[in-house]
Amino acid sequence: MALFPLTSNVEGDFVLQLLPVDTENTMDEVSAAAAYHSVGRRVKARPGHILRVRKQGATEPLPRTMTVAQAGFKPTECIEIIWEKAS
Amino acid sequence: MALLNRMDWYDLARTTNWTPTYVKEEELFPPQLAGDFGIPMEKWESYDEPYKQTYPEYVKVQREKDAGAYSVKAALERSEIFEKSDPGWLSVMKAHYGAIARGEYAAATAEARMMRFSKAPGMRNMATMGCMDEIRHGQIQLYFPHEHVSKDRQFDWAFKAYSTNEWGMIASRHFFDDIMMTRDAISVGIMLTFAFETGFTNMQFLGLAADAAEAGDHTFASLISSVQTDESRHAQIGGPLLQILIENGKKDEAQRRVDVSFWRAWKLFSVLTGPMMDYYTPLEHRKQSFKEFMQEWIVSQFERAIEDLGLSKPWYWDKFLADLDTQHHGMHLGVWYWRPTVWWNPAAGVTPAERDWLEQKYPGWNDTWGQCWDVIIDNLVEGNMAATYPETLPMICNMSNLPINYTPGNGWDVRDYPLEYNGRLYHFSSEVDRWVFEQEPERYAGHMSLVDRFLAGQIQPMDLNGALAYMGLAPGECGDDAHGYKWVEIYKQLRKKAG
Repeated sequence: MALFPLTSNVEGDFVLQLLPVDTENTMDEVSAAAAYHSVGRRVKARPGHILRVRKQGATEPLPRTMTVAQAGFKPTECIEIIWEKAS
Repeated sequence: MALLNRMDWYDLARTTNWTPTYVKEEELFPPQLAGDFGIPMEKWESYDEPYKQTYPEYVKVQREKDAGAYSVKAALERSEIFEKSDPGWLSVMKAHYGAIARGEYAAATAEARMMRFSKAPGMRNMATMGCMDEIRHGQIQLYFPHEHVSKDRQFDWAFKAYSTNEWGMIASRHFFDDIMMTRDAISVGIMLTFAFETGFTNMQFLGLAADAAEAGDHTFASLISSVQTDESRHAQIGGPLLQILIENGKKDEAQRRVDVSFWRAWKLFSVLTGPMMDYYTPLEHRKQSFKEFMQEWIVSQFERAIEDLGLSKPWYWDKFLADLDTQHHGMHLGVWYWRPTVWWNPAAGVTPAERDWLEQKYPGWNDTWGQCWDVIIDNLVEGNMAATYPETLPMICNMSNLPINYTPGNGWDVRDYPLEYNGRLYHFSSEVDRWVFEQEPERYAGHMSLVDRFLAGQIQPMDLNGALAYMGLAPGECGDDAHGYKWVEIYKQLRKKAG
């Protein structure tokens, strides 16, 4: 367990933000942490949607239970937090 | 006694090059300070300044300019501009003085380097006057705001800002240190006088003067117009210099310096002047939009200037033109949202009437930046103030040192432009900022952005209070909404009506 800095880019927001997470956080926990700084502040919540994490430029999101350590991010790497219709 | 006409003796009098015998040429003009472009001394003597002025003429004209600006100030001191102005306009003044005044003093050092180390005698003469210009600009822009310091501590930042680690000042110093404090005399001539002053000071000092006059602030209007008359003279140092470089096969080196400086200046103006013109200046006093000013004062004039000289438009010109529609809206939104971290009170500028104006000037504004403002306004209307303040830092570009932002909402295109260099991951707000870094990576690699400093533990405690202390923002100086959120009442009424 260790504090790990990422850069979050939440879909619909205007700015990249510093996002401190833990290496053991899952992608769902990462997206929730990113949402805290964007959704309800400058981005409207989207009912019926969840937020998924993907690497910048990737088309597919990372598995929801994957941890930060498993994802192999570099410190301060920019991740995209994307809305996805809840199934 | 009959006096010779100036043009009968000017060229001879300022031909002050000689052949050194006690020292070598490179000792008289060390390459690090003079510029090492491999151009022989005699070529520099062909430098033909377009604006020829002698010292007695300079003193006479400058005295009149000072007398004019100071007289207007003295005459209007009882006009209660501080008490009567819209708070948004006061914010324009505070932001301007803090960002500009002591940078002018720094520019005097840069002009002094050209004055001493340029190999072109005509350039040295122009830079002598340019140096005195910049001292005047520093002094006058510290003196004018001083009358307001006792009424409002934020005006003290006219002097204070340049010595602090406030984020905007880190960005400003990074730019000015790059283009004028750490370059040789030739590069300063290109990057400061040609790319920055020819390109941009018209915008800050004439465009804004038009808004000031409309807002009834004739003191500020006459001050900054007076400053610009000097800028437009000494900005011409760069033109003949570029001609010599191009004639001697150094076009690529010259072009690169223009491209670097112009882009970096644009970024700074997008956070400083853009919000002032499109959000802080009261709606009824806006002469033109920021984009329209940019197109008139910068795009057309600068395009003509570079083409006249035989240079090319910067390679990123299309991207720059596209940015005129977008970049400063995000900068403004960021400054307002992180408002405790600036030394002025940002005016939100998003009442329904102002939004109509923004939509008209920037079609699609409501569908993009407006989407973010909708959420902020909802929170303000509902009294959820906590959600209108930040709890983390924005990611900062390692070139502009400004928050990395682009278009939000339905036009969302925000992204990072990363670069790994010597094992460190750098972040940039555009491919152009990254390109600037790549031109001279060792020049920039060691600098730490505010976020880098935060992560390195230099900001303690690691929260907003720690950040404010690190930035030197004392109580009474931190920014808040310029109008004390009174504008939110309009939305409350609208909601009531809508039921």
